[in-house]
Amino acid sequence: MRFEFSRGSSQRGDRFFPSHQQSNDQVAAIDMQSNSSATTNKNQPQTSHTSTSRSSDSGEACGGGNKWASKLLSECARAISEKDSSKIHHLLWMLNELASPYGDCDQKLASYFLQALFCKATDSGQRCFKTLATVAEKSHSFDSARKLILKFQEVSPWTTFGHVASNGAILEALDGESKLHIIDISNTFCTQWPTLLEALATRNDETPRLKLTVVVTAGIVKSVMKEVGQRMEKFARLMGVPFEFNVISGLNHIGELTKEGLGVREDEAVAINCVGALRRVEVDERSSVIQLLRSLSPRVVTIVEEEADFSSSRYDFVRCFEECLRFYTLYFEMLEESFVPTSNERLMLERESSRNIVRVLACDEENGGGECERRERGIHWSGRLREAFSPVGFSDDVVDDVRALLKRYKSGWALVLAQGDNHESGIYLTWKEEPVVWASAWKP
Amino acid sequence: MMSGDAFSLPSLIAGFAQDQNSANPKPNTNPVAKKKRNLPGTPDPDAEVVALSPKTLMATNRFICEICNKGFQRDQNLQLHRRGHNLPWKLKQRTNKEVRKKVYICPENTCVHHDSSRALGDLTGIKKHFSRKHGEKKWKCEKCSKKYAVQSDWKAHSKTCGTREYKCDCGTLFSRKDSFITHRAFCDALADESARNTSVPETDLNFRNDTVNFPHGFSSRPGVPDIAGISQFSAGYRPDFSGMRTPGNSLGADQQNTGLSLWLNQANSHITPNSNLYVPPISTGFPDQMVQMGANLYSSSSSANLGNITLSGLPHELKEEGINKANMVDTTSASLYSDRIQNKQLKLAAVPMSATALLQKAAQMGSTRSNQLPFFGNSYGLMSSSSSPTTNPISLNQNPNELYHVFQDVKQPATENLKATHSVAMGDAMMGTSSNLDQLVMRTNENLQNEPTQLKLQRGSDSIESGLTRDFLGMSSESGFLFLPQDLAKFASISSAMRLNHFTANH
Repeated sequence: MRFEFSRGSSQRGDRFFPSHQQSNDQVAAIDMQSNSSATTNKNQPQTSHTSTSRSSDSGEACGGGNKWASKLLSECARAISEKDSSKIHHLLWMLNELASPYGDCDQKLASYFLQALFCKATDSGQRCFKTLATVAEKSHSFDSARKLILKFQEVSPWTTFGHVASNGAILEALDGESKLHIIDISNTFCTQWPTLLEALATRNDETPRLKLTVVVTAGIVKSVMKEVGQRMEKFARLMGVPFEFNVISGLNHIGELTKEGLGVREDEAVAINCVGALRRVEVDERSSVIQLLRSLSPRVVTIVEEEADFSSSRYDFVRCFEECLRFYTLYFEMLEESFVPTSNERLMLERESSRNIVRVLACDEENGGGECERRERGIHWSGRLREAFSPVGFSDDVVDDVRALLKRYKSGWALVLAQGDNHESGIYLTWKEEPVVWASAWKP
Repeated sequence: MMSGDAFSLPSLIAGFAQDQNSANPKPNTNPVAKKKRNLPGTPDPDAEVVALSPKTLMATNRFICEICNKGFQRDQNLQLHRRGHNLPWKLKQRTNKEVRKKVYICPENTCVHHDSSRALGDLTGIKKHFSRKHGEKKWKCEKCSKKYAVQSDWKAHSKTCGTREYKCDCGTLFSRKDSFITHRAFCDALADESARNTSVPETDLNFRNDTVNFPHGFSSRPGVPDIAGISQFSAGYRPDFSGMRTPGNSLGADQQNTGLSLWLNQANSHITPNSNLYVPPISTGFPDQMVQMGANLYSSSSSANLGNITLSGLPHELKEEGINKANMVDTTSASLYSDRIQNKQLKLAAVPMSATALLQKAAQMGSTRSNQLPFFGNSYGLMSSSSSPTTNPISLNQNPNELYHVFQDVKQPATENLKATHSVAMGDAMMGTSSNLDQLVMRTNENLQNEPTQLKLQRGSDSIESGLTRDFLGMSSESGFLFLPQDLAKFASISSAMRLNHFTANH
């Protein structure tokens, strides 16, 4: 879809951006493109709106100043699905005016979703995603990753919720075993495991041996995981836990895992820990991946996923968009309230989200070749998992541990047990009463 | 009340007053004499072994009044009650029988205390033991959800839960144990320390304060053992010198002065034979010069060289110190250091520690010594990683690497300069030139004129603080470290970039 920015429909443009009056297609298009790719660097020429300018918008934007982003974005999404070219132009242009990755929540959402919408409209999602991913990878280092994830865990239980629940379930399921093998399919940089190592070390009985095999997605730089491995080995030595560490990276697809490839031995008690892993599997391959996990004969499988549905609506752009917007609005608001305003870590997390948003909204399934990031709700995952596993409810102790964990963070977080069937289907982390993360445990 | 002779339950009364797990001998009638205690779990062989069933053990009212069958928790309460019965005098006395110590075994068959030879001498003790080990944990802490079987344990825990702070070797404080553990696992302080396998937090004196970035750079480069070794050793050596540098040091003044004076003496007296000790391939002329400069510096006499050296002095100083340090290996200051280090290491390594104990120890030490050097551990750990994992840094004679480490060991700024030196020295191995020292010296001179250089060691490089006057021990009017890690890195990079022609210029 070729874009032409027409002047006619822009009421406000003259006032704010005279440059746009050179309504040159190329310029405008380039402008948009540079906007989308420039979100990753600091020098943004265009948008420097303050909130005052926002409130002086014409009546088209929502009058109150709040939530204007969602309205504009939804409208734009609708326009794209209806292929209403002039409306698309108009809205994209408006959003471009108002959006900024350095502004408030609305502005940020506007900025990142605008990028995705633009990519969708111009069919350039794949390219944009690759660019963003490459840029991110370049600035990736052990120090930055560590700083980011530790800071995030310090201010928000978003990730630690799943860690505590999973560790509790794993410890209980593997209690009494002397040779443990944990297969960690996640991108948590092993931040889940120090507390588990400490628990293993301080148990009354003999400390078991632990083998940890981490399966990382393609986006993780190898040197980072190497460093992580070294730290883990040293820490395990400090704890006095016999420890072995392996990393499996470079897989295109989790389905390529094999028992031999993972180094699973017969005398080991296996636990599989999937944090945000299942959503990276292409929707059509999820069943087979679950069967693959089953074939590894684990004692327990712990699943942690974010609570959103980008899968069932994947052929319905507007619905998918709305859900995406809802989820990331929650996420961004949570980030804003958890971090200090000037936090660089929060910026990094937001950028990571922006890549995922582009991935979900603007990339086709077939072009995948990587993580598709299509989340599903806990209930749906449960349905899939029941084909191969049966649920194991978290014990009261674990639930208490998680509750105690949440107490240590700012208010707004709560734990909710899954409805029905004796709360077996896991637990939810809620942020302002909205479920955001789902954790569960399964056994064959 | 305690007549001391007629007991129904002889050890009981004593047991109430004393710690559970200690096996009490028979309570003394003579209150002045000290009660003899056996080791816990090693009962008096003459004692009578009492095996109570779990029900009896956990019964709350063990003392029954023979008259009305009322039960009491304590013998004293029973006696008080008995008075109320107006017994004739004869019956008032407790039955006068030979007091025989009783020890109790745990009713649980699988328990180690089920065996008579491991009986516990105290009834309360055995009750609590049974509860803790084999009983149901009914009491739960609200904050951390830790469970307890004995209510007093739970109460004691609740008082302190959440109030305790964990301090990492790097100096960060945590109120939550889980975030402390996670941090610790990834902390750079760990990366260096664990290679040593001992934590020597006492020596982490002031190292950390200005060099928070210090180990980060190091630890992120595990493939650069020499640098690691430098920092590690330097931190390790600090106890001798850091105190001199900063006022609030926990080191005794004696040590400081001793070290300082020794150092100075060494500097003056051991000038010539240095070159042999320092770096084998160094050309003979240079060390003498350096030594000269160093000596001059020490004695505060100024020469043309010194004029340059005061600003650029540190690298030279460090070299000097390094060289002298090598000498000091054989001197008392070295032994002072080594003794201390050895003692620490011995002390810390003597008791095999459980994981929790290690963590707690780190936490305690962190909390009790606010001015600890968190990176002492680094130094050691790094040293081990670079050379053979020796925990005694003073055994320099054998290993040239360790020699280098000795050089590192000069106090903080010195250390950092030594790092540069060290890198040069190591650079000998790496670069194979014999005039590294020369180049380093001139280069550092140059560098102190604020010439930007490429970082060889991937440290961030800032302009050197050439404005500060640095006396020998780096004690300037400013407190804290004179050489930031960036500076040191710069030195290191300088050393790598050597250019000969500047040397004469600075003379």
